[in-house]
Amino acid sequence: MLELTLQHILNGLVVGSAYALIAIGLTMIFGLMDIANFAHGEFYMLGGFFAYYAVSFLGLSFFVTIPLAIVVTMAVGALLDRGVFRRLRGTPLMSSVLATIGLSIFFQHVALLVWGPQPNEIPTPFPPASIHLGPLFITPFRLFIAGVTLLLILAAHGVLQYTRVGKATRAVFQNRESAALVGIDIDRIYLLSFTFGSGLAAAAGVLLGPIFLVYPTMGGMATLKAFIVVIVGGMGNFLGAIVSGLLLGVAESLGAGFVSTAYKDAVGFVIVIIVLMLMPQGLFGSKA
Amino acid sequence: MAVRLLQPVLIGAVALGFPLVVTGGYHLHLAIMALIFTVLVAGLNLLVGYMGLLSLGHAAFFGIGAYVSGLFYKKLGLSFWVGFPAAGVVAALAALVLGYIVLRVRGHRFVIISIAFQEIVRMVDSNWVELTNGYMGIAGIAAPRLLLGPLDIDFFPKRHFYYLALAVAALTVFVCQQLADSHIGRALIGIRESEALAGTVGISPFRYSMIAFTVGAFFGGLAGSLYAHFIGFISPDLFHFSVMIEMLVMLIMGGKGTTWGPVLGAIIFTMLPEYLRVAKDFRMIIFGGILVGAILYMPQGIIMPIARVAERLPRLWRPAERPA
Repeated sequence: MLELTLQHILNGLVVGSAYALIAIGLTMIFGLMDIANFAHGEFYMLGGFFAYYAVSFLGLSFFVTIPLAIVVTMAVGALLDRGVFRRLRGTPLMSSVLATIGLSIFFQHVALLVWGPQPNEIPTPFPPASIHLGPLFITPFRLFIAGVTLLLILAAHGVLQYTRVGKATRAVFQNRESAALVGIDIDRIYLLSFTFGSGLAAAAGVLLGPIFLVYPTMGGMATLKAFIVVIVGGMGNFLGAIVSGLLLGVAESLGAGFVSTAYKDAVGFVIVIIVLMLMPQGLFGSKA
Repeated sequence: MAVRLLQPVLIGAVALGFPLVVTGGYHLHLAIMALIFTVLVAGLNLLVGYMGLLSLGHAAFFGIGAYVSGLFYKKLGLSFWVGFPAAGVVAALAALVLGYIVLRVRGHRFVIISIAFQEIVRMVDSNWVELTNGYMGIAGIAAPRLLLGPLDIDFFPKRHFYYLALAVAALTVFVCQQLADSHIGRALIGIRESEALAGTVGISPFRYSMIAFTVGAFFGGLAGSLYAHFIGFISPDLFHFSVMIEMLVMLIMGGKGTTWGPVLGAIIFTMLPEYLRVAKDFRMIIFGGILVGAILYMPQGIIMPIARVAERLPRLWRPAERPA
């Protein structure tokens, strides 16, 4: 029983780390621009599809594919920031929610048209046999996911904490007007952080693609789960997004294992309602 | 005075005469769907339009209404005339309970909670197979039939159902308009403009949001019942996020916080996706693009430009009373 529980927790942590990756971009966009981006999950979808095509049709190695899919998705993200999100800044919540939902419909159906509705599996070079970690099992690929996500999260943290751009981003986050007064180019910070966030979501798409498959509507549930993570962790809270991403992954894994797999996706929704009732600012406090 | 009467008489004449002029089944079908959506969207308008609280969970009440009415018919053998009010009441009760818990949060937090509620209801509906038949749905829900003494009207022909839906839609728009014009509507608008200020003059945001939420859910339930007995088949897809998006697009693009905005939105956005069918695979891509463009360039909805034109119309017919 204890071993089974630990096994569920381990599986949950791996999936949860990918949730965290998607949620970091979402929480940054929200904290910086005050925009609830309902199209964020589409970056996750695009990352997955770009990787699938690079591996299956261009015959590239899976390891080359990861940075490639991230960079291509970031380019899409940068274009979107210039074309759409720049105009959405400062608009009421209702406008940004609807416009980003429109974007999400747009991307899902472009994907449907270009790539078709069938789910695809991204092939990986990893052997399917599990590794023993004491009493627990883990596939090499899941171990790889955990490692890459950890690296990406640490890198994101390092950039935000120690580089000039990162410091400027945090300044804009704390106070837009004051940051502009000391000469920080706000628009550039928005562009960079939006692009950065879309890249992290794309990375999650590549990493989870081999497990959960790649299909045009995969971004919808990803968006909702990322929102759950962001709200539970506190809107605009970087560290909160990571911790609650892991928590959601573990809670889902335990829920699927001990309650019912049919209600696996409901776990997060129940959690978010309870958290918002008891602690409206999220578990770790938020900017708002 | 004559001009003021012109508008309602004109709208009434078009609405009543529509099935006499247009007899094609396809167009009548669309018209009935537009009327059902009018009921749904007018109810949502109270919370989203007048009070300014964005909800993405209204499809839950639509689905609850459809299932209450459908199950009343299939499992208990009760007719539409029992199921229809019951659908509204059960949806309103669900809103009352949910609202009591969640109407203390605002903004994006409420958006997510409302989605969460809808998703949970959808999952329960999909998995509680003994009651709801799961993904297979429930088929064979008959159209209503009215037996009142010598009166015997079968609403199965589309033309008959049209008038039933029209009556419900007209009543809904009338009730919502009366509510909006009353102290309740003014309180809701007050909360929308400044919740803190409304509080200081003694308006309880919680109480009024409960009213808007519950009444909106009631009409959502009624719309669900109409849908179930019109289409005859219901499934968990009714709770789908895309249904929610559809009604939100109708509301915002039609013109939120106005009496006729939901009606206009329901008509246009029932027709538009149908006419976009000529674009085949590009249909939803175009639809998404239109949605983004409309929000960026026409945030007030379509009704504002139309209202401006309508204001000028009478002047074409009679000399201006005052020099402009």
